[in-house]
Amino acid sequence: MEVQTQIPRLTLWWLLTALFLVISPHLLRLPIWISLLIVACVVWRILIFAGRAAFPNKPLKMLIVFLSIPLTIAQYRSLGAGLDAAVCLLIMGTVFKLLEMRQRRDMLIVVALSYVLTMVGFIYSQTILASLHALITFTVITGALVSLQRENSYSSFTSNGRLAIRLVAQSIPLTIVLFLLVPRVAPLWTMPVPVSSNKTGVTDEMSPGNISNLSKSAELAFRVSFEDATPIHEELYWRGLVLDYFDGRAWRRSASAFQSYSMMERFQRTSQGVRNGTPVSYDIILEPTQQTWIYALPLAQLDVSDVIQDRNYTLHKEKPVTQRLRYQVQSYLNYDIDLELASALKARALQLPEEELNPRSKALAASLRQEAPGDRDYALRVLRLFREEPFFYTLTPPALGEASIDEFLFSSRQGFCEHYASSFVYLMRAAGIPARVVVGYQGGEINPFEGYTMVYQYNAHAWAEVWLEGEGWVRFDPTGAVAPERISEGAQSVLGNQPGFLEDSRFSMMRFRNTQWLNSLRLRLDAMDYAWNRWVVSYDEDVQLQFLETLFGEKARERLFLALGVAISTFFIIAAFFLLRGRKQKQFDEATKYYLRLMQDLAAQGVGRKRGEGPIDFSARVAKQKPELAAAMAEITAIYVQLNYGAIPEEGQKDAMLFARLRQSIRILRLALNTPIKRVFLRVWPGQF
Amino acid sequence: MNVIAAVKPWFTNRVTRWLDRRLPAVSEVQLHRKNIFILPTAPGFLYLCATALIFVTAINYVLSLAFGLAFLMTSLFILCILHTFRNLQHLRIRGAGAEPVFAGEEAGFVFVLYRNDLQVHEMLELRFPKANWSYANVLDNEQERVKVFLPTARRGLLRAPRVTVQTRFPLGLWRAWSHVDLDMSVVVYPKPLEGPLPVASGGTSSGDSNSLQVGVEDFHGLRNYSAGDSPKQIAWKNLARGQGLKVKQFVDAQDEHLVLDWEQFPGLDAEERLSRLCYWVLNLAHRDIDFGLRLPGVEISLGRGDAHCKKVLRALALWNTGAH
Repeated sequence: MEVQTQIPRLTLWWLLTALFLVISPHLLRLPIWISLLIVACVVWRILIFAGRAAFPNKPLKMLIVFLSIPLTIAQYRSLGAGLDAAVCLLIMGTVFKLLEMRQRRDMLIVVALSYVLTMVGFIYSQTILASLHALITFTVITGALVSLQRENSYSSFTSNGRLAIRLVAQSIPLTIVLFLLVPRVAPLWTMPVPVSSNKTGVTDEMSPGNISNLSKSAELAFRVSFEDATPIHEELYWRGLVLDYFDGRAWRRSASAFQSYSMMERFQRTSQGVRNGTPVSYDIILEPTQQTWIYALPLAQLDVSDVIQDRNYTLHKEKPVTQRLRYQVQSYLNYDIDLELASALKARALQLPEEELNPRSKALAASLRQEAPGDRDYALRVLRLFREEPFFYTLTPPALGEASIDEFLFSSRQGFCEHYASSFVYLMRAAGIPARVVVGYQGGEINPFEGYTMVYQYNAHAWAEVWLEGEGWVRFDPTGAVAPERISEGAQSVLGNQPGFLEDSRFSMMRFRNTQWLNSLRLRLDAMDYAWNRWVVSYDEDVQLQFLETLFGEKARERLFLALGVAISTFFIIAAFFLLRGRKQKQFDEATKYYLRLMQDLAAQGVGRKRGEGPIDFSARVAKQKPELAAAMAEITAIYVQLNYGAIPEEGQKDAMLFARLRQSIRILRLALNTPIKRVFLRVWPGQF
Repeated sequence: MNVIAAVKPWFTNRVTRWLDRRLPAVSEVQLHRKNIFILPTAPGFLYLCATALIFVTAINYVLSLAFGLAFLMTSLFILCILHTFRNLQHLRIRGAGAEPVFAGEEAGFVFVLYRNDLQVHEMLELRFPKANWSYANVLDNEQERVKVFLPTARRGLLRAPRVTVQTRFPLGLWRAWSHVDLDMSVVVYPKPLEGPLPVASGGTSSGDSNSLQVGVEDFHGLRNYSAGDSPKQIAWKNLARGQGLKVKQFVDAQDEHLVLDWEQFPGLDAEERLSRLCYWVLNLAHRDIDFGLRLPGVEISLGRGDAHCKKVLRALALWNTGAH
């Protein structure tokens, strides 16, 4: 039937709004030509709607589809991004469907696709803002469904919107229950992951300049909440990777050290290092890095299924971290690793480039070695060199040439942590002491509101580990010798006034950390985001089990389904009680009952009382629309108002008389309205009283 | 297919009998828990498919918020059961009959929908089996009238089948419905069939002076030529068109009364006779001529006016059907 197949005009606006909300977060991420194509399609659809353009004909539709799909695939193939391509095709498909949407059935498909696209947004962002955005989008899509159900004649934007909001609000309690109780299961099959073109954070190559680059960014790296007290700032060395291969300029993981995941697994079973004392327990939420390694204080122990420790005691995940990752760690800050150094490891820790580019440094090492024959003494002697000679800690060091170590040690003497770590390890190795570079983060800012620690990209750091007989690998931080406050207070205290610091985060609130209220606002917002991540976004199988155990005790799993059933039925019963109980008409007083009967008859005559219209206003409108009724209505209204809203009469007698008059008048007027001879009645009306 | 074909009538029969027991014919019905049925619609299943897709993606990508979205969609789906049900619940329906129609036309049965309390009923859809949908809203007014159409094929007293009252409000994910039998019927007049009114032969007519008056002023049809007809009355134009020799017939306006007689259409079957009589009833009523009707077993004396016309048509409709 006609009514059933057409799309009401109002509905189209709802749907276009929903699609706009759904697609807009992706527009900037998509290739520019696809974004333009999408916008063009939507504009076309609006023109069709306005009657300014026609629906595309079949050949044109074919052309659009057969051109854009291969182009999209070609575009993404070069990036190797299966998921991104799929998302892009899904968005394009939805928008193309819009162009041939004539009937309700087509619209329902667009609605279903919009719901799916709302979910797709979560693959890229699960922040509070993204969630609010999704909730609004969901409500608008629901509003589109409501307006599709209602006829145009009486549906309005506000009434549909109100109903949609009511429906969504009423569904939220059950949503929360399902969210908490429905068992989370492990992924059913592996999925392609979104490929972000920019890997953030520390990389597996350290050359002069790439860590100082990170100090331009106020982006969050990870957040940590310690179970007990936060260790002092100097202890917060978040170990990431060990770089032990030096090619004369950059430090990398040596090819032999770069083990396959299965090899690491074998190592994990054989060697564990020596852990002393009591561990610190904490919980990290790592922002997506697109890399496989994760950060922790040494010596870490964690029980996450796909995270593994390699021979260098760094932590690796099987797959890159593409979403926020939450993991719990116990770290033994007092540890011994590799008390016996295997010969292969020792050889790697002594490697130097075959081509000698830094002869002066080598000579320096030899001369210092003579001053301090002990390994530890020698290392301390080198640190003293950094401390006593005019070395500067700066974000903007001069560029270095081929002989980077020599130039740094003897001429420029200005550098960031990577320069110090690099030359320190070089000097160690030149003296025959096994040493290596470690990259990661150092320090962190404590959020005073929630007590957790925020580690930012500008906290990126490089330091050294030296192998000492009987002690194993010992941490040495040459940066600490040059700029001790960098280690004790943090990067922002040293670098805060240097040009280039946070240069890439021009609009970050971090730049205003010296303005009291803005800084506290920043910290509060971060605390909110952190709580959101901790309790909502990271709510997975493990967290759920913990939560359920606190709720139901030991037998959580068995009781889960029972609890789920009880919760759903309770919701249903409560909702049914409130929705299905009859809303009885109010007990009107006698006068109102008569008055309402008159209203009905007047409505049948085409002068219905509007919602919220008072009796006096209504009477005035009746007088305007049906002048012949004016006198009668004025009389009746006056009595009714007097009865209902007037002052309480002194004696009941008077009230009863008024009521009798009202009843009489209404009776006559209704008779007049409902009989063919009403004109006669109406003409004589004024004389009645 | 054969099995289905064999089972279907049996099944339909069972359902009909079950409905008859459960929802017997009454003049007024109020919808409530026991006579409302509810099931998801096709868009409802599409919605569920989208929900399932979101759920599976949430599992595979471990997206907590996508889980949330899937659960929100599930909750909304469950909630809609109540909203859709509520939209039909407490609705009172009364049948207000239907105006007689001619066979082949659609009979419009009037249903009066009342809301009992402040609960409004939006987007109600009503129809007879396989007929077209009618729509109604019971919002501000306490009662609304809606006409639901039923195609008719044969004359007689047509008993209205069960009417389906359904709603898919608010989201179209669920359909709540009831099959209501309000014990209504409509008189279906024979389909008027245009044709000449043959002159009743003396033998078959009752011999009354007013049985049939053939006049010369008012043309009302053609009949075959028979010997002795005036050449003035021959329809020369029709002859020229090769339609054979016909004679124009006229009814005298002065003789404003005649009795339409079953026997005037010898050789035709009963239904065709009734159809032709029906045509002439309308024709005469239109021209304000007094007329009567004589059917086997039925005799209506001369008269005119709306009521008389309806009485005659009703007699034609119900003749030999056993209904009154």
